[in-house]
Amino acid sequence: MSNSQTLTVDHDSRPVCFSTRFFRLIRQREAGLLLLISLTSVVVGIHDVRFFSVDVWRDILVRCAPTAIVACGVMLVVVTGEIDISVGSLMALLAAVMGRMLSEQEFDISCWIGIPVTLGLGTLIGVFTGSLVSMGRVPSIIVTLGLLTALRGLTTLMMGGKNIDRLPEGLTQVAKQGFLGVPISILAAAGVIGLTSVLIHHIPLGRRLYALGSSAESARMAGLSEVRLKLFAFGYTGFLTALATIVDVPRLPKIESGIGSEFELLVVTCVVVGGVAISGGQGRLIGVLLAVVLMTMIRPALTFMDIGEAGEKWTRAIQGMFILLAVVSDSLFSWRQRHSGKVHAA
Amino acid sequence: MPDTGGGRSYAWWHETVIAVLLVIVLQFAGWLVPGFLKLQSQLLLSRQLWEFAILALGMTLIIITGGIDLSVGSTMGLSAVVFGGVHSSSGSLMAASLACLATGLCCGAVNGALVSRLRLHPLIVTLATFAAYRGIAEGWSQGHSYSRFGDAFSDLARGSWLGVPLPGAIFVLMATGFAVFLSKTPYGRFLYAIGHNERAAKFSGISVNRIRFWLYTTSGLLAGLASLIYVARFDTAQADVGKGFELDVITAVVLGGTSIYGGRGTIPGTMLGLLLIHETRLLVSRYWGSDELRSIVIGCLLIVAVLACQLVSRKRRS
Repeated sequence: MSNSQTLTVDHDSRPVCFSTRFFRLIRQREAGLLLLISLTSVVVGIHDVRFFSVDVWRDILVRCAPTAIVACGVMLVVVTGEIDISVGSLMALLAAVMGRMLSEQEFDISCWIGIPVTLGLGTLIGVFTGSLVSMGRVPSIIVTLGLLTALRGLTTLMMGGKNIDRLPEGLTQVAKQGFLGVPISILAAAGVIGLTSVLIHHIPLGRRLYALGSSAESARMAGLSEVRLKLFAFGYTGFLTALATIVDVPRLPKIESGIGSEFELLVVTCVVVGGVAISGGQGRLIGVLLAVVLMTMIRPALTFMDIGEAGEKWTRAIQGMFILLAVVSDSLFSWRQRHSGKVHAA
Repeated sequence: MPDTGGGRSYAWWHETVIAVLLVIVLQFAGWLVPGFLKLQSQLLLSRQLWEFAILALGMTLIIITGGIDLSVGSTMGLSAVVFGGVHSSSGSLMAASLACLATGLCCGAVNGALVSRLRLHPLIVTLATFAAYRGIAEGWSQGHSYSRFGDAFSDLARGSWLGVPLPGAIFVLMATGFAVFLSKTPYGRFLYAIGHNERAAKFSGISVNRIRFWLYTTSGLLAGLASLIYVARFDTAQADVGKGFELDVITAVVLGGTSIYGGRGTIPGTMLGLLLIHETRLLVSRYWGSDELRSIVIGCLLIVAVLACQLVSRKRRS
């Protein structure tokens, strides 16, 4: 506990003017995450200096890319006050559809048709989810829980118990080697992050999503359409999931039906650890991205700690510990801010 | 958008819809698969149901207060590993079983403490412990699986009492207890109050934090018990016990008419939800012989059932 407090509190112990303190308060989560990331890297780096090589970090970023892409979408969904836990199954379904369309052993359709169709299907399923949530008024956690189960079943049915391999040479080559030496998934992630950042900071639509999340009632009175905003947030998530599938899946040797299992929980975890309020209305993109890096770097870091097979098995435990550290330190901090009489927002 | 419950006239109508659906499924099953409805075969096939059913009891109470517990599956995994570890080092079944239950209790208490003391959102807390407990189980067991616990132990899952499978008997006793607790005791009614409006509940003198703490602790203890039954049924204890159970259990509870926003839900409803899922699964896997179809049907069932309820209740209200 005292450790986690020093992580976050020492930044604003000096008396400063209100606006500066306010900005520091907002940046708390990011600072804590950055500290955790650098601490982990330093500890691993001292143990084995090769951890700081370009190749290792390139590998870590490639692993981060699909999570970061999808997290941008899920973050917007959470900002509007909803949640999406179906992205892992959606990813599997899209991978199966894409694989069957493009694979040389199956339908062998050109990439120029297959990829847009995959993107379109992803967006369509996202919009469908959004319409159930906004027009059907079914709680989003239930819709996406149902889809999580149903889409996974659909995927297994489509794969028919076989794995799909032999994706077109061109696609796998591009996915592995990338463009001008930068892996394609990193490029895609950079593009998506740029787009989402512009969306949040410079386009009214982004601000409207935040407005909807902080108070649906006021947003409605201000004349915002809840249905349209939610359709957009879920559709965007679907689109990004398709994009993540397209850039990430061809790197794998074959497509199995188990792809993306528990991916949804990883993404939601990153969004939450990144400081997005689960009740909606607040959260910053940079925090989410830092959380993605933190969660993803644990496994590579453990392999560098030179404890062999045994180490990797602890990945999940350390992930869980970091999540707890992030949320507990945050809560301790905000607890001191507001007076303890307040009931937490459900 | 919380379900306000509405008038007395349709307080049970979600349960009625599920019961009708269940009857339809059973009729359909009896017609498609001869012998499906025989009590003997139903009891035989019920073995897969009990762990879910036990977890669902705790989950119902938690969701009624507006919370959620995503860590039950991971708690089962950790309890199973502890069971295996203690059994292989001490050789005593009794000590191992107690350790298994105690682990569940501790896991639940940690969740409860974080939710009630630090006032973190239950979804966040249990998402964290979902990863943490499974991670500790994986790290500690190192992929090793323990087995050979002896016949006496597997009787816990395979034995029967007055013709009823032993875990089934345990479940029925517990379900009765939970149902009475929820509907007849003040503390049970407090849960609904908390789910409807936590603030109002607090101001009317209900010790919300203490109740929350004990709820999550109970859920953990139930996960320990479920883990014990699971291990007895398969005679193996390893880190992946209970993987994916949390989502299935939540599906059953929500299907049974418990509002995910809290304030509404019953134990009989949850039992109907469990039965509906169980029978649908059995029917689909018996008739079409396909596990994939099963999850599609259940996923759609969940969405359609809740959608139908929303549509009908909206029409009633307006």
